[in-house]
Amino acid sequence: MTELEFDPKPRVAQPTAGPARSVRRRDKRRATSLFAHGEPMVWLTGGALGLALAMISTLLFVVISRGLPTFWPQPVVEIVTHGGERFAGEVALSESFALGPEALAALPEQAAARARAELAANDEQIARRMLRSGNYDLTGTHFRWVSDFEVAEESTPEWMLCVERLEWGRFYGVPTALEFDGRRTDGPSEQMWAEFERAHAQARATWDERRSIEEHDIGRLAKAKEEARLAVRSAELAHGAQSPERAAAEREAEALSAELDEEMRALGERIEELKALNAGRRLLVRTADGAQATLPLEQVVRAYPANRLGAFDKLAVYASRVEEFLLDSPRESNSEGGVFPAIFGTVLMTLIMSVLVVPFGVLAALYLREYARPGPLVSAVRIAINNLAGVPSIVFGVFGVGFFCYTVGGGLDTWLFPERLPSPTFGTGGLLWASLTLALLTLPVVIVPTEEALAAVPRSMREGSYACGATKWQTIWRIVLPRAMPGIMTGAILALARGAGEVAPLMLVGASKLAEELPIDGAFPYLHPERSFMHLGFHIYDLGFQSQNSEAAKPMVYTTTLLLIALVVVLNVVAIWIRARLRRRFQGAQL
Amino acid sequence: MDTSQPSPSLRKRGRRERKTRRSVLVAERVARTAISLGGGLTIATVSLICVFLAWVVIPLFGAATLSPARSLAGGRASEPIVACATDEYASLMWVLERSGRVSVLRLDTGATLETLSVSEQAQPAALGFDAASNVVAVGTSDGAVRLATLSFAVSYPDTAGSGEVLSTLRPEERTPFAGGLAERLADGQVRCVRLELSISEPFELGTGAAKSPPRLLDLNVTEAGATVAALFEDGRLTVGALKRTTNMMTGAETLRFRGGDLPAPNAPQSEQPIALRLLGAGDNVLLVWRDGRGVRYDARELRSATAAESLELLQSADVELTRVGAALGERTVLVGDSKGGVGAWFRTRPEQAGTVDGARMARGHWFAGDGVAVTAVAPSATSRSFAVGRADGRFELYFLTSEKQLAEGRTPDGSAVDALCLSPREDALLVHSAGGWSAHQLASHHPEASVTALLRPVWYENYEQPEHVWQSSSGADDFEAKFGLMPLVFGTLKATFYSLLFGVPLALLAAIFSSEYLAPRTRVAVKSTIEIMASLPSVVLGFLAGNVVAPLVQNSLAAVLASFYCVPIALLLGARLWQLAPQGLVLRLVSWQRLLVITLALPLGLLTASVLGPWIEDVAFGGSLEGWLDMQHGGAAPGWFLLLLPVAAIGATFAIARLGGGWVRRVSQHWSRARCAQFDLLRFCATGVCACLFAALAAALLSAAGLDPRGSLLDTYAQRNALVVGFIMGFAIIPIIYTLSEDALSSVPEQLRQASLGAGATPWQTALRVIVPTAASGLFSAVMVGLGRAVGETMIVLMAAGNTPIMDWNVFSGFRTLSANIAVELPEAVEGDTHYRTLFLAALALFAMTFVVNTGAELVRQRFRRRAYQL
Repeated sequence: MTELEFDPKPRVAQPTAGPARSVRRRDKRRATSLFAHGEPMVWLTGGALGLALAMISTLLFVVISRGLPTFWPQPVVEIVTHGGERFAGEVALSESFALGPEALAALPEQAAARARAELAANDEQIARRMLRSGNYDLTGTHFRWVSDFEVAEESTPEWMLCVERLEWGRFYGVPTALEFDGRRTDGPSEQMWAEFERAHAQARATWDERRSIEEHDIGRLAKAKEEARLAVRSAELAHGAQSPERAAAEREAEALSAELDEEMRALGERIEELKALNAGRRLLVRTADGAQATLPLEQVVRAYPANRLGAFDKLAVYASRVEEFLLDSPRESNSEGGVFPAIFGTVLMTLIMSVLVVPFGVLAALYLREYARPGPLVSAVRIAINNLAGVPSIVFGVFGVGFFCYTVGGGLDTWLFPERLPSPTFGTGGLLWASLTLALLTLPVVIVPTEEALAAVPRSMREGSYACGATKWQTIWRIVLPRAMPGIMTGAILALARGAGEVAPLMLVGASKLAEELPIDGAFPYLHPERSFMHLGFHIYDLGFQSQNSEAAKPMVYTTTLLLIALVVVLNVVAIWIRARLRRRFQGAQL
Repeated sequence: MDTSQPSPSLRKRGRRERKTRRSVLVAERVARTAISLGGGLTIATVSLICVFLAWVVIPLFGAATLSPARSLAGGRASEPIVACATDEYASLMWVLERSGRVSVLRLDTGATLETLSVSEQAQPAALGFDAASNVVAVGTSDGAVRLATLSFAVSYPDTAGSGEVLSTLRPEERTPFAGGLAERLADGQVRCVRLELSISEPFELGTGAAKSPPRLLDLNVTEAGATVAALFEDGRLTVGALKRTTNMMTGAETLRFRGGDLPAPNAPQSEQPIALRLLGAGDNVLLVWRDGRGVRYDARELRSATAAESLELLQSADVELTRVGAALGERTVLVGDSKGGVGAWFRTRPEQAGTVDGARMARGHWFAGDGVAVTAVAPSATSRSFAVGRADGRFELYFLTSEKQLAEGRTPDGSAVDALCLSPREDALLVHSAGGWSAHQLASHHPEASVTALLRPVWYENYEQPEHVWQSSSGADDFEAKFGLMPLVFGTLKATFYSLLFGVPLALLAAIFSSEYLAPRTRVAVKSTIEIMASLPSVVLGFLAGNVVAPLVQNSLAAVLASFYCVPIALLLGARLWQLAPQGLVLRLVSWQRLLVITLALPLGLLTASVLGPWIEDVAFGGSLEGWLDMQHGGAAPGWFLLLLPVAAIGATFAIARLGGGWVRRVSQHWSRARCAQFDLLRFCATGVCACLFAALAAALLSAAGLDPRGSLLDTYAQRNALVVGFIMGFAIIPIIYTLSEDALSSVPEQLRQASLGAGATPWQTALRVIVPTAASGLFSAVMVGLGRAVGETMIVLMAAGNTPIMDWNVFSGFRTLSANIAVELPEAVEGDTHYRTLFLAALALFAMTFVVNTGAELVRQRFRRRAYQL
């Protein structure tokens, strides 16, 4: 993939069929035999190429076609079955299947008759749909299958709401009343809906304030307390358990603790206040089967009357969901919400990795190509580095966990953070170790193209530079590196793409399914390289492979997949484009 | 090149003295140092990977070390030692002698700390010991039995409140304290270890009027309760469970024995059994005689226990049985003999056991010895190691499962070893001989690992035969981790094989087409597209494999399988039809247009497959391919037919070309192009019919011979299987093989191509006879690189292969590869233990495999390049 072959081949392979004139005998018309063209074999080769191209486009099509429409609001269907059940939901999946005779026999008589009728009419197939019926807190299920022959009545009620909640998944129902700070508006009506939107914004603002206090302020206090405890432990380790230093640290910690407790109480009061404020802001909803439910407004992330939406409203919902996806944290064990921490983690990890790998990769390439004395050793090293690109990524992960996490990190812990032991600080997977591991992994991706680019700088240019009296470094810095820049860029971008898409080593050295804190925050020292982080690729693995409620998580996985593919493909396309330009430039130089 | 000093000639001619600025010189030196240092360091780091992996792996194969003997002053036993054990920290040991006396020894000095007794009588009739719970059953001459529990109590007394003794204790110093031994630890705490002995109320074995004293006793204590077996002086054999009952009035607890007599062994009364053993959870009783005879009773139903099988534990008649012990878990019996051999026997469940409980005892392991009688056998309480002592004073430490000898030693005075004791942490080995106790420090690193245990079949406890097993963890407590790497290596090879089977032909053929039949501009576009395919993150591929492809393949298995036949047939047929098209049209469509025409055959093939597949499934496979694979219905013939069809087709093609080729060449010289094309179509159909006939014939023969493809290449269908993995792995390896082989084909010198075309060869002849042979080594190296990628691919196999470590070539079953195994298990492995190091070994193996393959490929490629430039 990173081969830089530049052979200007003006070659068009054309079938040279047609009668080749025989010189010797005029009477016998000698044609090139049709069989010699091996048309069937050519078709096999062409078919193979076509298949390869079809595979990649099908894959991209599948991901895009499943990833893009995820956030588009669907109409909510209310269904009444012949059995008298009523429920509402969005259609998640439609399929048809063959109903076996045993299953048919198990059905009640009337249903079986209907099923038989459909089977007869529909080529022995039964159509069924999977409805995302939500209301998990009431029904205990997120989805339900309904076969077409069971449906007695189907409608799309105007005011059927789709409510996304912080917990328990989606809720579908018709609003009957809005309670806001003691005011009650009955509905459903336009006026109530306008009221709801206002009330909802207020309730969410209140909730945001509460969450900010809970997360930031209380977290800060807890951290301060922990620091004080660590200071005591630190003094104990340094001076002994009975030392006056430890006693002093302990007194200080107690004083601080009292202070912090006071502050904590104040915050707790404020939280109670906000809770009380939001307690009276509720939406009363009636579900399709007539059950009444009360939804606290602060728990509602988004609600819309799905069947009333026009195209623009739908677009607005779509945009709002995309925004949430890109900028918000996940919730409901990652199957809802956004992937911001994963995007952040991926980008930050890749950046740190490239900051490490690009300079060192270029240094190594410069050394190999310009400074090391050519010989069998350098060739051997070159081959080894080339082959490092073929070493399985999991091996780098194993090295990373054994060397970086346990050996280096464990050493750092006993040296720098003995007071925190036995809970590890650097002695476990984290951002820094993941970046270092991936830097090692992508090293050959940088070294190989850089070296090739350095080698491709014409000898005449170096000699010209030396002839002008430039030193070696001046020649490299002013002449060679600028000309090799596109090659280095290609390497760097390919390394970025590889690093962003690699998951196997990260599973070992620090990616986690849910990281509580971002690796960068407002607390000193701002960048926390020891923290574990979320990663888009690992997110896909975790959601797609290990998720509890995998059906509900599926849309999320497809969108995340789309995002990751887009990221990686864009990086690769840029690299390929740069390389193509570079190739043209070199070809120009060679001519 | 040294350019800092201007040459003298320049200086002479120059009008003024030219001197290099100092800053330039400094920059030069700094750059040289920085680049050499940085570059060298980077390269060194890379080689560090291999070194580090090896450094972690090497201790796995290290031998155990045994320190020289340290004689303990006291505690020499005057009577045979029945049992002994140390505490977890190897600071105290208790020794139970035949007389019922228990002496507690300090292991640092050897002084006797205290002497207790488990029996009120001077000489108990029989003693039985359960090593797992440290309970001794003491049988008295009046037929009653008491249970004595010997347990070490560990406490951390407060140093301040316990007086002078402890507060003045220096670190690492030990002193007797409160009936035990106190030691100041490195972190300042004081740890006190004390032996606690509690003796239960007596209970009667059975209700029989005749109260005969027991001769042999054994007991087995589990969480559920205790089982006791006893052989009485009068030859009666009884086994039963102990129940603890509480008196409602007084609250006093009493032990009640409920059980039944076993049929007495039919052996001459003169010869008495030497050992009685309860096996496993107490549901089997083993009675052993000195001459090697043994009887195993099935005692699952205590009231109706019967003799299950009689055994010959020794190989030859002139050998006597000397010692009987049990390994950890009491499922394996260790039998030592007078010739020094030790056999490990456990129950297996073979197909035709012929016993009442369907089980048979088998000798799973054999430690041959060198002719000197075994005088002591002692198992470890935590692992499957055991120590063997001999009559000439030598003793050895073995690991049962791996049959690895860990360490050996000799008593100082060369007198026979009569008791051995391994500390729970296996850091101390205590040996008793006529000269008293001697202590050895032991470091037994990774006894369960050895080259043979990792790579050869190993006979694990209760398995029928030696097997390759990888099972690193389980819920059970006395579970033995099984580190057979072969299933994982096999899984890796299987994944590689099936993905190469799919990917290599596709990639090579595609490369030939794009290098020989595409215009340069199109070629660049196609190549870039395929390179994007190479950059797809494998987690995405794995996710799609598991969640899209696997269900799809399962739902339409017949159509998918049919497409493997239909697509090539559609292409071959399409080519024949295309030959019928007017020549003008054919010549006009080149490069991407031709590719487009060819590609149209693909959907046609797929469409045919989706119709034909289910139809064949109905007709030949009884309506359900999965059921057929599962051997639920149908015969072998249709399977053979489909498997053999490709082979038959190739055979038929060659046969027809061989038999009629010359004739066709002769006759077709005068034919028009259209006539040739018609003939070719006809010939294709004839070949197809021939192939079908061949395949049908062979299938009929094979199935008549009783052979069935199910059970080897084909078998029960699992949703995540090698077929799906092979297909999706294609996405990962096709681009690599394609790009590299396209490079190789393109760099064949242009003059060769021109010369061949100029000599009148068609492009296809040129490609087949000139280009491909010239580029062969390049193509080979491309395949090797693809192989390297397939070997190490992790996420795809992790998410789509089901991860079951089984060994069969079935296309429709899952597997577990080395890489996926590492990804799953390394996060849970404890740093430094055998599991962790074995996973590192797997990584090292992967590293070595891919490194060798890639280096080979690189060398081949370099040779190819040199040759190509020479041409």
